Amino acid sequence: MKEKKIRVSTSARISSLTCTRLATWTTAAVLLQILGLSLFVLGFFPVKPALSGVSGPESYRSPGCHSLEDLHSRNLPPDQLRSLYQEISEIPPSFDRLILMVIDGLPAEFVLGKGDRLPSKAMMKAMPYTQSLLANGMAHGCHARAAPPTVTMPRLKAMVSGAIGGFLDVAFNFNTQALLDDNLLGQFYNIGWKMVMLGDETWLKLFPGLFTRHDGVSSFYVKDTVEVDRNVTRHLEAELIIDDWNLLILHYLGLDHVGHIGGRNSILMAPKLKEMDEIIKTIHLSKILSQDNNHGQTLLMVVSDHGMTDSGNHGGSSYEETDSLALFIGLRSNFPDYASAIRDAAFQVDIAPTLALLFGVPIPKNNIGVLIAGTFDSLTDDQQLRALELNSWQLLRLLRTHLPGLSCGSLPCNRFSDEQGSGNSRCNGSVEQKFCCLYLKAAALHSSWKSNKGRSSRSSSRDEFRDAVAAYYEFLRIASEWLSGRTTDKPLGLLTFGVAAMLVSCVILLNLLFHLCKEVYLRQKQCLPNLNSCSYKWNLDETFILGVIFILVLSMGSSSMVEEEQYIWHFMTSTLYLIFLRKAIQSLPAGPALSLFIVIKGQNCKKFSQMHSIFVVLICGRILRGWHQGGVNWTYLPDISKWLEQASTNCIKLIQLVSGLLVIILSSYALSSLRSMRNFVLGVQVSFFISGLLVMVHIMEYQVHTSVQSSYNATLMAQIIYAILTMIVIATLVASPWFMPIWISKTHSSSQPYLMTSVSIDSQIKSLPLGLIDSAYLIGWTYIVCWCLLQLLLQQPINAVPILLLLLQILASMLSFSIDGPRHKQWIEVSALYFLGMAGHFGLGNSNTIATIDVAASFIGISSHSTVLAGILMFINTYASPMLFLLSMVMYISMKDMSYMLVSQNTDLGHLLQMMIGFPCLIPLGLNSIVLTAFTVILLLMRNHLFVWSVFSPKYLYVCATTASVYIGVSIVAATGIYQCSVFVFRKSSSSKGNGTSKSLR
Amino acid sequence: MENSTSKASRSQNDPVSVSSSPSVLEAFWLHLICGLGLAVAFWVANNVYAVNLISNPAQTLRLILVIESPIVIFLYSLFRQNPKQCSYLKAVGRGVLGLPAGAVLNAFGAIVLGTPVGIQYLTKTISWSLLMSLFTFVPAACVFGSSWTNWQRLFAHTKPNGILDYMICFPAHGAFLGAWLGAWPMPLDWERPWQEWPICVSYGAVAGYLVAMVASLGFIILCGGGRQHVKGD
Repeated sequence: MKEKKIRVSTSARISSLTCTRLATWTTAAVLLQILGLSLFVLGFFPVKPALSGVSGPESYRSPGCHSLEDLHSRNLPPDQLRSLYQEISEIPPSFDRLILMVIDGLPAEFVLGKGDRLPSKAMMKAMPYTQSLLANGMAHGCHARAAPPTVTMPRLKAMVSGAIGGFLDVAFNFNTQALLDDNLLGQFYNIGWKMVMLGDETWLKLFPGLFTRHDGVSSFYVKDTVEVDRNVTRHLEAELIIDDWNLLILHYLGLDHVGHIGGRNSILMAPKLKEMDEIIKTIHLSKILSQDNNHGQTLLMVVSDHGMTDSGNHGGSSYEETDSLALFIGLRSNFPDYASAIRDAAFQVDIAPTLALLFGVPIPKNNIGVLIAGTFDSLTDDQQLRALELNSWQLLRLLRTHLPGLSCGSLPCNRFSDEQGSGNSRCNGSVEQKFCCLYLKAAALHSSWKSNKGRSSRSSSRDEFRDAVAAYYEFLRIASEWLSGRTTDKPLGLLTFGVAAMLVSCVILLNLLFHLCKEVYLRQKQCLPNLNSCSYKWNLDETFILGVIFILVLSMGSSSMVEEEQYIWHFMTSTLYLIFLRKAIQSLPAGPALSLFIVIKGQNCKKFSQMHSIFVVLICGRILRGWHQGGVNWTYLPDISKWLEQASTNCIKLIQLVSGLLVIILSSYALSSLRSMRNFVLGVQVSFFISGLLVMVHIMEYQVHTSVQSSYNATLMAQIIYAILTMIVIATLVASPWFMPIWISKTHSSSQPYLMTSVSIDSQIKSLPLGLIDSAYLIGWTYIVCWCLLQLLLQQPINAVPILLLLLQILASMLSFSIDGPRHKQWIEVSALYFLGMAGHFGLGNSNTIATIDVAASFIGISSHSTVLAGILMFINTYASPMLFLLSMVMYISMKDMSYMLVSQNTDLGHLLQMMIGFPCLIPLGLNSIVLTAFTVILLLMRNHLFVWSVFSPKYLYVCATTASVYIGVSIVAATGIYQCSVFVFRKSSSSKGNGTSKSLR
Repeated sequence: MENSTSKASRSQNDPVSVSSSPSVLEAFWLHLICGLGLAVAFWVANNVYAVNLISNPAQTLRLILVIESPIVIFLYSLFRQNPKQCSYLKAVGRGVLGLPAGAVLNAFGAIVLGTPVGIQYLTKTISWSLLMSLFTFVPAACVFGSSWTNWQRLFAHTKPNGILDYMICFPAHGAFLGAWLGAWPMPLDWERPWQEWPICVSYGAVAGYLVAMVASLGFIILCGGGRQHVKGD
């Protein structure tokens, strides 16, 4: 014991890092990271409470009423529903036909000017007809402020649903972009409208199947500014004549393209505006819009989804980008002059309730917009107040989901029960009280006007009407702003705290890693003095790994690099392995007389097998890269999987079976080198064989035509396979540390044929880690094989070969690392495995868009629908490769010769653990924490980027899921390591107590 | 262990290599002629055959190869090791043999790093790897032949020793590094024609080669001159 003390004290300054401290700090850092991450996610992706379902007749009743009769009105035929709406709304629809002309990217400034100023001369000249409409009071225009992100799809959603969506509601609609919330088009469809869409195909993605006729154009070819609009206009004439539709959507992309090419002041801008003006003229002069049409009234509405900056970009939240247009042409009310035809204060979401009430449908449920003032001037006073009231009720309902305490005493169910208005007193207090007070004030003014309508003089009645309108608008505006603030505001404090927590945890992890490195290498130096000190200086591969991390962080700031991330991982991993190859060549013997041919012929078997295994890793990696094209921009390019799918399904099945068979053979082969405990190992081999056979039978019987038949038998079989695999893993894990003999003499420990035994330490001292190493080898291999078999079951048939390739890569890397012995630094090898895992992730066909997640896999072997189980299966399927490589860390522990680190006196549990699982756990955590923290900061910086919702946010979800997989993998590795070590230490201490003869250990 | 042996071997080897070691001026002329050869090749491609890397990469690469390879092989063969035992023609022959052999290695590296494999890329890949081989392995083949020790010293350890080593090692590593860096713009969605394989990689390799020749000259003048002096003593 004294000797031990002395021994330790020599390295006391080095080994200040004990195992418990290491574990505590790591756990603390991980917990801090989880906390920071969850705070950031909560802050960045606010989950707004939303009302589900579709507005129906109940929206025409006060929110206080709980009527039951709504239920059966749901199934009314469209015509009856329409007349029901008309009856209970008390507002006759002003129009029954709508032409919605969307000019993509048109800033309202071009048409309406900025503030009090008129638009520039050139703009006025470019749109003469529209300007004349505005000047004559036949059109009513307003600046409709759009909410960021100012990109087409979310803006169209805002226009038709009146709601500002969060990102997560988009992300969780896997593979569908359809708008499922209550919206205007759905409402129109319910009352039997026929709809026609010409233009941007985004509408078709949002509303699949809703349009009677459609001609979608793609917004992909930004260079094209002419054809894209001609494709819309070519149908216009015919549609104006056919006139069997109620809604005609024209979505012109050309102006946006002009902006992207040349900016606001592009020479193409004026001709494009002229073209748009011509189209407005055509529509306005056509028969449809003339007043004496016996089909009823038609409204032409010209809107833009967003504006553009001076350079023509959009996506952010500057005035230029959010300044979009809403222009009503054909409203019956006339505006005497230009100034009153233009109103400033409106929002894009206001379009939804305005159109809803103009066309006699209920306001969509999650609308936060307010009726645009001036659009209802042609209605009677009574009807105008009623419209405002309906809008208020709808907002009040929505407010209640955000503020459950908002009851406003008891809202009167019938509209004018009592006049408990709070008069003109100011509304203060909590948010709930304020909203209640404002609403009740408006309602009171409304009812008092109503009751006094007949009695009081005309002028005072007019005043009262104005007061009521003003009071309604006050409530509506404040409520609307509060609601929109809830969805767009980012709580800065929360975000900062989240990022800070992640940064701190990242620093802690890196610091721990640094200390561990230092300690291990000093110890290595101490124990292996014969190793050349030259190999401890900074090497090329270490520099390169740091470079990889740096490049990764940099590349995440560019949207196209995020989209094409698979290239980066493959390129970096392959380069790293080429560097390993170079290193292997370095260590080949060199002599003066040696010529190239002699070296190749010579007896360098070990070195050459190392080089061979590196070649295997490289070639497998290249095939994996070619298997799926991946990414976003070049998915159409040919790859092996497309080629095979074209060939035939039988061919795929054959390949699948062959690769399954090879996985089974490999799994048995790798275990056959274990000589100790033959019977136990044989049992494990047999169980691999059985489960592999079952997987093959499942593939043969039930996976037909690349999709899995969901028959009862298939489900049962999959469940049996799950159960068997779980049992194998648990049995091996629990039993092998107990069955492996503790004392293995050197001759028997042939688990790694290339184990470096250059270090001469007492064999009895070595024996502990050797027994341990055999059991780690067995457990690690069991993990890997079971995971591969599971993936063969879950992955698409085409992915069977990639699974085999990944397995080969693992084996080859393990072999090459074991040959290397202590020459390679451990952290480099663990990093290399981690990189291989990430490269393999993309090799299995994953990408940074949510669309590539294989949803079908999540229903294999599930008999009843369960979100949790399906989610777990989806995770297993998507993160197959990173998890596989994390699990392989257990095997990696066994492949690495660490006996030199176990100085005889130091074989206590803590030290053993630290040496065994220190790097395999800390390196993935550290690497991932760098990526996570860096990308969080990037996401924060990019929050106004054009692609924040389409590229960066999905990538962030992937980063979060990767973090989760690293946590799971690392905790499995750590738990396995701790369990094995404690069992061995326990067995050793009990056996050494049992026979005192073997107590030669001092 | 191996390091010490290689060190020992180098010290034994040095006198042999010194015998054919070029002077600073010779190195300067060699690099200048190689660089000018490249420039002439580009000029000929552009003005005589009216092709360039972007419009017709394979043909341009072949043209550069045809013009540059005699220059490189003949010039480097002048500085062959053991000139007494190895005739000039033999050195040239080694260089000619080294060209396809190095191309195979380069092609393997490129394919492993993600070069598209397909019939339509075959000629491009072959031309590119031949050119890369000319930049990287051919000089070494001319000078050292199949002497493993020297190859290992230059390409695995990157420990050039003396003017000749600088002249071979620097341009080769520059070409490797340039080609590696040149691959970076390929996955970006800029939709430029030069993002295709092997255009930007070739540009990178040529740029790296030229930059490294300048760097090699600089090193030769800064360190090599001094070393030469010491050895002269």
